[in-house]
Amino acid sequence: MLNKAMPSTCPSCRQDLTVVRLRCGGCGTSVEGEFALPILARLEGEEQLLAVNFLKASGSLKELARQYGVSYPTVRNRLDALIDRLSSLGKSSAETEEPQP
Amino acid sequence: MTDGGRQADGGPKRRMWTWLFNPFHYLAGGPALGIGVVAIAAAGLVGAASRSHFDGVLDFHSGLAVPLWVYLVEGFVDWLASGILLLAAGKLVSRTHVRALDVFGTQALARAPMLLTAVAALLPGFQRVTDELARAILRGGALWPLDVGAQDVVVFALVLLVTLMMLVWMVALMYRAYAVSCNVTGARAVISFIVALLLAEAASKAALIPILKAVAPAP
Repeated sequence: MLNKAMPSTCPSCRQDLTVVRLRCGGCGTSVEGEFALPILARLEGEEQLLAVNFLKASGSLKELARQYGVSYPTVRNRLDALIDRLSSLGKSSAETEEPQP
Repeated sequence: MTDGGRQADGGPKRRMWTWLFNPFHYLAGGPALGIGVVAIAAAGLVGAASRSHFDGVLDFHSGLAVPLWVYLVEGFVDWLASGILLLAAGKLVSRTHVRALDVFGTQALARAPMLLTAVAALLPGFQRVTDELARAILRGGALWPLDVGAQDVVVFALVLLVTLMMLVWMVALMYRAYAVSCNVTGARAVISFIVALLLAEAASKAALIPILKAVAPAP
């Protein structure tokens, strides 16, 4: 089966996409509604992989640097960029969840 | 890219370019410090043979013969001055945690091109022109024409060209070392780097001039 990357933003207007239908792979039951994507699912594939590898390395930047074959500050800078991205995603989520007057 | 690290996962050409102009993508901390300190010491030792002085963070002069320890001290004073000032600049402008080991390690490695400058200065043609220039200056007479062959002048010009290229390469490496080890980018990185570099140059000159004056032979 083709491993398709899940888009998190609209290719037309760049707004965040939401999940409107979920389906059970076992019995085929579907649930419809409007669900926001979890913050980690809204990251790019490479960023998701970095977050997963960081957790797998028990948060050790030295180990992560060894895995990626780069220096310690290089991997720390990538992590800083990921933290900035998570912060901005968190802010944009909070803004869209604010009740309209 | 200029994010202080997210680059170089491309083809062999891109990787070679990164090794030349941003080796800190792969090397920092202890390994960079080890290689850098060896390169600085080697530049001092070769410098003693070619009478090459790195008497300032951005300086190269040739001619004056002094005891071996002075050539070694010059390189380490330059490295410490740039390391201390760039670490202070990084702590001031960076939003992330800056490790002193990364700043000093990458700044040591960034000075490696000075080893090639010291090697180039070993060429006899360069030495003959330097000696002639020194004699002309001491005599207080005209610097030109010098009592050297045309070949020596060509060698001298080539060594000056190599020196200039190595200096540009070293400054480019020092900037990349600063950007990667302190995670700073854009105008903030460029301005803080220039200010710290100029202060480091002044500090290294202030430390080295008294040493050179003390050990220089009387004219």
